[in-house]
Amino acid sequence: MEHLILRLKEEIIEVLNLEDIKPEDIDDNAPLIGDGLGLDSIDVLELIVLLGKNYGINVKEASQGREIFQSVRVMAEYIRANRTK
Amino acid sequence: MELFIKKHCHLSLKSRSELPEMYRALRIDYPKFFKMDNLSKLGFLASEILFKDETVRFTPREDIALIGFNSSSSLDTDRNYQATIRDADNYFPSPSVFVYTLPNMVAGEIAIRNRFYCETFFYICENFDVGETANKIRLSFTDSVIRSVLAFWIEYTEETKEVFMIWVDKEKNKLPFSEEQLSILYNK
Repeated sequence: MEHLILRLKEEIIEVLNLEDIKPEDIDDNAPLIGDGLGLDSIDVLELIVLLGKNYGINVKEASQGREIFQSVRVMAEYIRANRTK
Repeated sequence: MELFIKKHCHLSLKSRSELPEMYRALRIDYPKFFKMDNLSKLGFLASEILFKDETVRFTPREDIALIGFNSSSSLDTDRNYQATIRDADNYFPSPSVFVYTLPNMVAGEIAIRNRFYCETFFYICENFDVGETANKIRLSFTDSVIRSVLAFWIEYTEETKEVFMIWVDKEKNKLPFSEEQLSILYNK
């Protein structure tokens, strides 16, 4: 699980162009949307694409994102339970 | 109506790597810069050069119009977006690239950064046209609300990475606004 969390942080930093942010700067349990990393709606869509591209997870409703992207840990748990690749 | 050129800048870059280098050299703290497409980054940097020494910044303004011109529209970003959709077996359209497949996004980014709640225009034309640029600038000033115009010619392609930006104002200063002056500054 910890390995997946680290990989996920690296992927988030890359796809969202979070310059000057390192994996260790991202709290495993901090909210991704709003306060935590301060991601916006386009970032959320980009994370949905990341789930499909890297893990074969098809998120049909953007509203599901609110649950999935509560934190990196929640996101990693969701990937572990639903990944197809 | 008498108009004056308050500030101007003309940047011509050789490579994409100069964009983040310039951002750091200007000591800007605006992480959203790194999410912009190349065209927006280039226009954003020129605007930062023009506005950086202003004593009053980030106060909401409605009296400034933004007018952009270029030839290649958002072609650089269009190509980047196409790369995310051209393979049917690896079809993952990027939302964050897609939002920049319009050239007027550069004007939007400058407006957001500086809190300009104003009219923005973006025209596609073959080349930098002094007469047309001057006409559009003067036309903006016929709106009684407008006191300043930020106008720019901007190109970002594989071969050309250029932005020429001028800040035209009603407030009197040393540099009167005219087609001739515009041409001199552009060709400097």
